[in-house]
Amino acid sequence: MRQALAAEWTKLRTVSSAAWLVVAVVGCTVLLGSAMTASVDTSQCPSPASCQEDTVRLVLAGVWVGQVAVVVMAVLAVTNEYDTGMIQTTLAATPRRGTVLLAKAAVVTATVLAGGTAGVIGSLAAGRAILPGNGFTEANGYPPLSVTDEPTLRAAGGTVLYLGLVALLGLGLGAAVRDTAGALLGVLTLLYVAPVVAALVGDPAWQARLQKVAPMTAGLAIQATRGLERLPIGPWAGLGVLAAWAGTAMLLGAVVLQVRDA
Amino acid sequence: MSTTIELRDLRKRYGRTVAVDGLSFTVAPGEVTAFVGPNGAGKSTTMRMILGLDAPDEGAALVGGQRYRSLPSPLRVVGALLDAGAVHPGRRARDHLLWMARAAGLPRGRVEEVVELVGLGPVAGRRAGALSLGMRQRLGLAGALLGDPPVLVLDEPANGLDPQGIVWIRGLLRSLAADGRAVLVSSHLMSELEGSADHLVAIGRGRLVADTSVRDLLAAASGDRVVVRTAQRTEAMTLLANAGATVSATGREVVTVSGLPAERIVALLSQRGLAFSEVAAHRASLEEAYMELTRDAVEFGAPATGEA
Amino acid sequence: MGRLLLAEWTKLASVPRWVAAIVAAVVLTVLVGLLGAASSTSDANRHWDFAVGPDGRSVRDDFHLAHRPLAGDGSVTARVASQAGLVGELQDRARAGVILKEGLEPGSRYAAMMVTPGHGVRFQANFADEVAGGGTGARWLRLTRFGSVVDGYESADGTAWRRVGTVDLAGLPSTVQVGLFVASPDAVQVTRQFGSVGIGGHPTAATATFDNVRVEPAGSPPGASWTDRDVGRPALEGDATERAGGFTVSGSGDLAVVPPEDDVVRLSLTGVLVGLMAVVGLGVLSITSEYKRGMIRTTFAASPRRGRVLAAKALVLGGATFVAGLVACLAAFLLAQPTLRANGYGPPAFPRASLADGPVLRAVIGSAAVLALVAVLGLAAGAILRRSAGAITAVILLLVLPQLVAAALPVSAGRWLQRLTPSAGFAIQQTVERGLCLPEDGCFPEGPWLGFGVLCAYVAVALAVAFWLLRRRDA
Repeated sequence: MRQALAAEWTKLRTVSSAAWLVVAVVGCTVLLGSAMTASVDTSQCPSPASCQEDTVRLVLAGVWVGQVAVVVMAVLAVTNEYDTGMIQTTLAATPRRGTVLLAKAAVVTATVLAGGTAGVIGSLAAGRAILPGNGFTEANGYPPLSVTDEPTLRAAGGTVLYLGLVALLGLGLGAAVRDTAGALLGVLTLLYVAPVVAALVGDPAWQARLQKVAPMTAGLAIQATRGLERLPIGPWAGLGVLAAWAGTAMLLGAVVLQVRDA
Repeated sequence: MSTTIELRDLRKRYGRTVAVDGLSFTVAPGEVTAFVGPNGAGKSTTMRMILGLDAPDEGAALVGGQRYRSLPSPLRVVGALLDAGAVHPGRRARDHLLWMARAAGLPRGRVEEVVELVGLGPVAGRRAGALSLGMRQRLGLAGALLGDPPVLVLDEPANGLDPQGIVWIRGLLRSLAADGRAVLVSSHLMSELEGSADHLVAIGRGRLVADTSVRDLLAAASGDRVVVRTAQRTEAMTLLANAGATVSATGREVVTVSGLPAERIVALLSQRGLAFSEVAAHRASLEEAYMELTRDAVEFGAPATGEA
Repeated sequence: MGRLLLAEWTKLASVPRWVAAIVAAVVLTVLVGLLGAASSTSDANRHWDFAVGPDGRSVRDDFHLAHRPLAGDGSVTARVASQAGLVGELQDRARAGVILKEGLEPGSRYAAMMVTPGHGVRFQANFADEVAGGGTGARWLRLTRFGSVVDGYESADGTAWRRVGTVDLAGLPSTVQVGLFVASPDAVQVTRQFGSVGIGGHPTAATATFDNVRVEPAGSPPGASWTDRDVGRPALEGDATERAGGFTVSGSGDLAVVPPEDDVVRLSLTGVLVGLMAVVGLGVLSITSEYKRGMIRTTFAASPRRGRVLAAKALVLGGATFVAGLVACLAAFLLAQPTLRANGYGPPAFPRASLADGPVLRAVIGSAAVLALVAVLGLAAGAILRRSAGAITAVILLLVLPQLVAAALPVSAGRWLQRLTPSAGFAIQQTVERGLCLPEDGCFPEGPWLGFGVLCAYVAVALAVAFWLLRRRDA
């Protein structure tokens, strides 16, 4: 296993696109988070103090875009080998297929967690700088963002975990489908289209059900620090739903990898 | 090192096509075994089954008595080159070998060794996508040799190599076999294997067609044809025919004789005083021998030009 | 070019995966649309107590009216001296003016000239046909009736009159009610917090003073006298007091069509978003697969005019996707409607939608067009980026992310995002003009054609860039 890990790490770090994708995770997360934070201020509330804005969730919203880079990295880590035919060499080097998948998962997830942490820290720092200027000051009931605050820590750490789980989802689906376009479309549809469709459905009961089950809306519940009772699902339960998706995808991928010809 | 490749009753079908049908043979150490057959005969499929990439429907492919998938460090036992193009175009050649070395638990220095061995030194720092066909082929070979394995499985290693490259490969294969390794080389071009193959396994339509040493094959096919060049063709033909040989005119001044040894022909012609400028014992090339052997087993053949 | 089209069509139709992608797009569109329909319910009809207007639509016909009858041809004139809020702030759409109404039942036909604080002088008839009058300050209003035709006039000084609007109320009885009216719609407040929205509303009332009130001929019918009442059921009771030469009227309510709470047509076409995903993949792959396998060289060797190749690909792809999309959208719409009606989305709260309606036809055909355009957008992205992963990601992000982000931002910022990104193309699916247009409801601020135009612009620019790059680069 150690050798497989070393091999997968070498593969990841010797291809320039991987480095760019990590940069994209960090950059997109910070940029979008900052842009969204900057566009929200207290002027649209009757009074600044009565603005029930969840600033932590707002600041961390950059993952909506950052996760795309994670998905691409995770999917390509598997499907690119099928595209180039290198999967044959990989499986010849490490015939235990479960080991291959686990090693890939470990290496990619570790990278994503590292990049995600950087992105989250960057977003929080940017938020700390921007929010007071938009009226979210201590006086109005919005103390500066800090990870010593327990809900903020949960939201921030949970976001990093969220990205790691999204990576596993991409990896698993990539191994199951073995085709770049198909796996990418599948994951992106699951993540992005499900919430939009859920919002358009007329029945509130069904909307809530869909939002509980859709990977992105459930997973991002971990980011909420206010109004938790209005969420369709609790924070950790939501992350659990995403974990279930990721686990299922990985299981599917492992089975396909094990059973099918290379 | 006495590791052999052993195939027992291997069978594999894809959909309705039977790719490999009851194949059994052994690849012995210390010699180069040529694995030949027409296009689509099942060579690549067989090699993939040896490497555990495809699962056989029946039968077994064993390396040193074990299935590939249960080998603890497979790259150190079997070095394989299946598809030289199977590299990430954005990754540097050296790094491609590096990850393989890591997977096999080999030290970094080994990468440099094989790079020198296959002559990739000047271009090892280039991205794989920027390498020429021949260079990529050498890269694939380097990967196969990385673990210093006792068994080598090479699918068309000479593909894309220039004439010097082909000469080099022949030498390499011979030296690998001389080390005592079992070398299985597939090709559909006999000329590449001329001079380097010791044993020949031929398949056609998924079935074994021949499993013989090269020497025996050539001996069986050569027959005893002799080419005689003489200005007095008609007289020579009559004379030799009367002596019991089968003669045919194959050129303005050329006669092909079979059924008589060369010395006898020389004696007969000299006796009669017929001048001749050449008496050559015709040695069948591997290609001709093989064509003879597999004439019936060709699956995808174009109609021969000029022949009925 | 014809040969090129044929070649590209052959390429498209001969890859089983791609044909499967088109079929998948159709199936997904219909399925998701049906699922959405089956899982949506509305109980609006249970408490739908709005009046029914002349054309069968639900209307709010609530206001306070100071009126008297008028027999035969004639006119009513008044000057709106002032307009102010009484309960709550003065709303943009608070109305005060003169009205000629067929009767006093809610939903009966009428023509009115009115003044609104936010939109100036307006002529309105039968809950529609709002025609804007001239500039500000013109506070003299007049309605004249000849036979069944009613005209509305405005004037700044009471002498020079300008006609603003006209309506033919066929079969108008001889005696109608004319008078002064005041209405003030509910104040709506939208509070946005990140990811959730609160909508609050409360009724308002306004007051207006009228003078120089004249009905001519005054004696027709004889014995006619002024009285006042609330028409319909305004939330707050109104009042009218007579003063020298005029009235002060206060009232609450609105004269407007009540839009359905949901867009039934758009609801049945929800599946288009999912079908789009398959279509994006198809568009991108139809060109990146050629790059991956080096087949692009063969293509360009066969047809060196690269721009034409791109055009041919776009035409074949767009055409095939449009036809498939049309089938899908028609099927989705037709199959979903009965289910929706059974789930409570029927008249009167939700007028029956049929393909004969202009907006409905526009939504269905437009959705098919959106599918085709997105396929071509994918093609252009694939030609520009040459790698399927990047192109697919880019197109999906541009299409879907704005919806999500817009729902989380303040309304104005969200609307800008909707206007400027290709997802604006979804506006073509809207058949209902809603009072409150929020991104999370899938409502687009610009009209359907403008939104569609934004998508077209993106596709055009992408194709142009692809065309330029294709000619410049090595194959």
